[in-house]
Amino acid sequence: MTASGTALSLSGLTKRFGGLVAVDDVTIDLESRKLNAIIGPNGAGKTTLFNLITGEIAADSGRVTFQGRDIVNRKPHEIVRSGISRTLQIKSVFGGLTVGDNVRAAVLAHERIMTPFRPVSSYRAVAARSNDLIEEVGLSDHRGALASSLSYGDVALLEMALALAAQPKLLLLDEPVCGMGPQETERTVAMITGISRHTDVILIEHDMEVVFDIADFIMVMAQGGILATGTAAEIASDAKVQEAYLGSPEDD
Amino acid sequence: MNELVLALAVNGLVWGLIVALIALGLSIIFGLLDVINVAHGDFFMLGTVGGLVVATSTGSFWIALAIVPLIGLILGAVIERLVIRPTLRQASLTIVTTFGLSMIIQEVVRATYGAQPRRMAAPIDGTIPLFGINYEIYRIAAAAFAALFLIAFFLFLNRTKLGTWIRAVRHDPETATSLGIPVTLVTAFTFALGTAMALLGGVIAAPITTVDFRSGVDILPVCFMAVIIGGLGNLQGTVAAAIMLAVLEGVVTSFVDPTTARIASLVIMSVALLVRPHGLFAGATR
Amino acid sequence: MTVSHARVLGLTVLVLALIAVPYALPALGANFWVNIIAEILIWSLLAASVNLLLGYLGLLSFGQSLYFGFGMYGVALSINAWDVGFWSALAIGMAAASVMALIAGVLAVRLTWHYFAIITVVFSLIFYFAAMSMKWLTGGDDGVSFTPPPVMNLGGYKLLLTDPTAQYYVILGIVAGCFALMALIVNSPLGLSFKAIRENDRRAALIGINVYRTRLIAFVLAGALAGVSGALFAFFGRYASASYMFYHVSGEAVVWAIVGGASSLLGPLFGAGALIIFRELVSNAWEHYLIAVGVITILVVMFAPRGIAGSWNDLLHKAFMRRSQGADPNKPAAVIEEPR
Repeated sequence: MTASGTALSLSGLTKRFGGLVAVDDVTIDLESRKLNAIIGPNGAGKTTLFNLITGEIAADSGRVTFQGRDIVNRKPHEIVRSGISRTLQIKSVFGGLTVGDNVRAAVLAHERIMTPFRPVSSYRAVAARSNDLIEEVGLSDHRGALASSLSYGDVALLEMALALAAQPKLLLLDEPVCGMGPQETERTVAMITGISRHTDVILIEHDMEVVFDIADFIMVMAQGGILATGTAAEIASDAKVQEAYLGSPEDD
Repeated sequence: MNELVLALAVNGLVWGLIVALIALGLSIIFGLLDVINVAHGDFFMLGTVGGLVVATSTGSFWIALAIVPLIGLILGAVIERLVIRPTLRQASLTIVTTFGLSMIIQEVVRATYGAQPRRMAAPIDGTIPLFGINYEIYRIAAAAFAALFLIAFFLFLNRTKLGTWIRAVRHDPETATSLGIPVTLVTAFTFALGTAMALLGGVIAAPITTVDFRSGVDILPVCFMAVIIGGLGNLQGTVAAAIMLAVLEGVVTSFVDPTTARIASLVIMSVALLVRPHGLFAGATR
Repeated sequence: MTVSHARVLGLTVLVLALIAVPYALPALGANFWVNIIAEILIWSLLAASVNLLLGYLGLLSFGQSLYFGFGMYGVALSINAWDVGFWSALAIGMAAASVMALIAGVLAVRLTWHYFAIITVVFSLIFYFAAMSMKWLTGGDDGVSFTPPPVMNLGGYKLLLTDPTAQYYVILGIVAGCFALMALIVNSPLGLSFKAIRENDRRAALIGINVYRTRLIAFVLAGALAGVSGALFAFFGRYASASYMFYHVSGEAVVWAIVGGASSLLGPLFGAGALIIFRELVSNAWEHYLIAVGVITILVVMFAPRGIAGSWNDLLHKAFMRRSQGADPNKPAAVIEEPR
């Protein structure tokens, strides 16, 4: 086992797409019980990094150590079961199912229940936990609504419930407040800080105000590599970071 | 023995070029519209029937060769407007719509032209000695026509404005729209062109095959094999695969029975799909 | 009365009508139609196997005729070779189809979208050509005929398929049993994971569902259903033929499923029923009735993509307006998600 203080440890993690190095030899230990944030210009490799951690794309080389085990290139569902959940930049839920069915599907998947003949409704404990999760994210009024009929902010909340259903030890959030209005942002930020008290969180975010406000530790990525790490104050005064943000106005 | 194999290879090449023309039509329709056109084989069949009917009524095969593909162009445009465009929203279900279309075409031909398979006289008589057998001159001519039209197609695609538009829409419809390219029109034209190519292949093939309302069912899997092995939407790959498969099938058929050869091709196709869904000839770019 | 009451009522009427068929139709002087209804029941299972994949997992299989054929030959060959009984032959037909579906599925469910449709039809073509050429085993186009064993043999009393009424009830019982099992499955945790994958396979993996394995389970279940359908059709026709393995049979099943209403459990029954009854009524008067079938298929995809059953459900919702909160009947229940 590694030190209990490590939430996730990356070592030499690399991914190439043709000639482009999307993630370039990333090595870092992210501490537990801290709200870690990854920032960087578009195309810096942040989402690719998440995709490597969750097994959705295969790494070319390197290791991802979670709870003392190397999980690199394991199947996404196995990685979820090992305790890493994530949300996506473009919010991703089961559009044609009701909010209740969305969360029940996630709870059943977490409990590894795949029985073919017993009705879903007969699983009392699953129903109870689903209701708790729906309540936790504040969607109790929409239980019977189709997910595709929800507002954008509510979809994001539902996605959060799906991620939490797996009782993650580590939660990866990809631009959680992207596209939200001020009120929705406030609600979501409050929820994230709440979650981070009992679950390790790593978030990618473009909204600097939010990041500097809530993150304990910030990692700045540029061109696939790590440009700088540190606290909000350290990052804000870092010359390289300012150059990366201000020096490349085209922001591809 | 060796000479017979060579003759069969030439015969395969003739078929391969014609199949390439038809499969290319299937391939551009897939590449641009995301439509798996199950009725494509029936468009080929319409070409053979149209070729026979027009050639007998006008007395000239060459008139048929000129007119039938044009009819195909119009027919394709009409079908695109009436059947394909309204169902494009559900891309997966276009397999079902074109299956319905296939039923309609076959049954209409059966009702009008009849169920009796017929043969058509070759427009060019005579044979030439080739690898020890007397080979029909028309078959050579058919291969030449097909090759000519293949070249014309690629020239059209690469050298004309409309061709450039088609490539642009294939590549990225959104950017094409923002560049002011009339995407809807280009899409309709592509379907019409693909249809016309199947009918053209049909006219060319009419004198060397049986003209039968069921013949589309036989050619469809062959075209699909070329498109899949060449890579869905990869045009040069489609041509290469069509020729390669036909030559191989021609040669292999001299050693084993045609069914075994057909099964072998299908197995190759499955492997291609599973291992390289973008085709055996796909480069790193696609 | 609410929507669910109306549904229960509709189902009761349907079941009673199907039970009454062998008595009601001959009384009306339509003996011939008893066998047509039996045939509809058999084919509805093949359409249901398409529907299980298309309606519940978003996978369009164009190759279900392969498993139908294995069901047919499982019955015919086992009876001819080992003289097995009715239920054993049925089980062998179903098992043969399931094993074939497992082998094909291991490869096929790695693909989705158009690629899945193509690989399923290619697999079925491979075995179609093989079965056509292996005449010593399959009889090719002409097929293999056999004498069906008694369904039951209770102390001298034999239940034989030669009695049309007995045959009808045996078919009805087995088909109803299959639909009942399907109803249980789609409402179970397994069924919910099917629907989750249909809606969003990436998110399904991210909540911990093994998407590949779940698709494979569904593919084998669909193969088993098609196998039962083929087995029953073999008993019904007293023969098995390779011609039923051709992709046109698969295509017909897809058309029935879509016309009836994909993602609705009984849709395939309505689709197969409507189109087979249409064929029987029209084909004598008009040889080229397939033109109309083609037109109907296209019109349904265009204007009623949820099919007969979907339209019926919408009608019920409109009529009672007591729908569960938020459920929007005008929204197609995600017939197919486009993964691009």
